[in-house]
Amino acid sequence: MAEQVLSAHVPATPKPAAASRSGTFVPRLITGLGIVFVWEIVVRAFAPAYVAKPSAVILVIPKVLSDPTFQKALGSTLSAVAEGLAITIVIGTVLGLLMGRSPTFDRVFRVYVNGFNAMPMIIVLPLFSLWFGYSDAARIATIIFAAIFAITMNVADGARSVPREYLEVSRSFRSGRLRALTDIILPASMPYLLAGFRLAAGRALIGAVVAEFFLSVGGLGYYILYNSRSYHHNEAFVGVLLLAAFGVGFELLVNWATRHFMPWYRRDEKQN
Amino acid sequence: MVPFSETLVRLWELVVNGNFITQLLDSAKLFLAGFGLALIVGMPLGMLLARVRTLRIGVEPYIMILYATPMVALIPFILSMMGFGFAPKLLVVFLFAVFPVLYNTVEGARSIKPELIEVAKSFRSSEWSLWREVMLPYTLPYTMTGVRQAIGRALVGMIAAEFFLSATGLGQLIMSASQNFDTGGVFASIFIIGLLGIGLTRLGLVIEHHFARWRQ
Repeated sequence: MAEQVLSAHVPATPKPAAASRSGTFVPRLITGLGIVFVWEIVVRAFAPAYVAKPSAVILVIPKVLSDPTFQKALGSTLSAVAEGLAITIVIGTVLGLLMGRSPTFDRVFRVYVNGFNAMPMIIVLPLFSLWFGYSDAARIATIIFAAIFAITMNVADGARSVPREYLEVSRSFRSGRLRALTDIILPASMPYLLAGFRLAAGRALIGAVVAEFFLSVGGLGYYILYNSRSYHHNEAFVGVLLLAAFGVGFELLVNWATRHFMPWYRRDEKQN
Repeated sequence: MVPFSETLVRLWELVVNGNFITQLLDSAKLFLAGFGLALIVGMPLGMLLARVRTLRIGVEPYIMILYATPMVALIPFILSMMGFGFAPKLLVVFLFAVFPVLYNTVEGARSIKPELIEVAKSFRSSEWSLWREVMLPYTLPYTMTGVRQAIGRALVGMIAAEFFLSATGLGQLIMSASQNFDTGGVFASIFIIGLLGIGLTRLGLVIEHHFARWRQ
C-alpha cells in the first residue's frame, strides 16, 4: 500500500516501458476476456438465437468484410464523412478565425453558434429530409451541421488566445495583416483546430449514421439497421465494431498528430 | 421554405392547443428517468473504479472505447430485442448519458491527493466515512463536468429514441409535422427543442461553475 502511494506520488520517475506495460496489460486482457465470456454466457442462456454473441460475431467477420454490399456501404459512409468534414473544416475555420479576430463579428455570431452547438443535432433531420429529399445531399448536410460548430468554436478560441506580443512583433516588423493571419494566427490556432477536428470527426460519424437511419440512404448505418431488422445481429454488430474502431482511431490519430507536428503544444500531455 | 410568420403562427397554435405541453411532459419524463439512472449508476461506479486500482486499470480502456463509440448505432439492436415500450427508450437515454458521468468521475477520483487518503487512514477513518468525507466532496466538481456533457448527450439520446424507437413526445411533434409537409410546424418544433437544448446547457454550465468553486 505504502509503495503504491509513493509511486502514485512521484509520477515523474521514468519506469522501464516494458515493466509498466505488462503491469497494465494483464488485468486489461483478463477484464476483456471476462466481458466477452459473460456476454457469451448471458446470450446463450437467456437471449433468443438471433442476438449477437462474441463467438458468432468473430466467425462472421471475414464473411462481412469480403461482402461487396458491406464494402460499398462502408465506402459510401466514409466518403460522405470525408467530404462533409472537408467542407466543414474550410467553412468552420474561416468562421472561427473571423469570430476570434473580429470583435464585431464575434458579438453578432457568438449567440447563434453557441445556440446551434447546444441543439441536439438530430432534430434537423426531418427538416433536411424536406429540403433535400431522402438523398445523399441530406446526409452531407447533416454531417456538416453536426460537425461545423465544434470546429468554429475551437478555432475561435485558438485565434483569440494568440499572445498579443507575437502580433505586436509582427506589426513592428511591418508585416501585413494577411501575413500575420497566415504565419502567426493560423499556426497558433492549429492545436485548437485539431482538438476541434477530433470532436467534429466523432460528431460527423454519428451524423452520417443517424442520417442513414432516418433517410434510408445506403451506408454503414443503413447496413446496421437493415441487418438488425432482418435479425442478422452478428453481421450488424461487425458494423458497430467498425464504427467504434473509427471513433477510437480518430482520437488516436489526432493525439498522435498533435504530439508529432506540434511538439511545442503540451497542454494535453500535462493532464495525463 | 416558409415565411417566418407562419412558423410563429404554428408555434402559437402548438402552445395554445396544449399539444406542446403534453409532449414536453412526456419527453421530460424520459429525459429525467434516463439521466437520473445514469447519475445513480455512473457516480458510485466511477468512485469505486478510482478506489480499487486493479479494477480501474482493467476496465478503463473499455470505458474509453464505449465513450468514443457512437451509441446511436446500438439503437437498431435495442429496437429488435426490446420493442417499442418505455424501457428500451430509457436504456437509450441511459447509454447516451452514463459514460460522460462515469469517465469524469473516475478522472476526478483518480486525482485525489494520496496524502488526503493517508491522513484519513491514519485517523482510523472507516471506509464509509472516507467515501463520504474525502472522496465524494473531492470528486463532485469533476462529476459535474460529466453531468454537463451528459445533459447534452441525454437530450440527443431522448430525441433519437423518440425518432427511431416509437414516436412520442417532442420527437413525435416534429416527426408528424415533417410527415405532413408542414414546414412551419417543423420549424416551430425545432425552435422549441433548440430552446430547450440551450436552456439545459446553460443549466449544466451553472451547475458546473457552482461546484467548480471548491475545485483546487
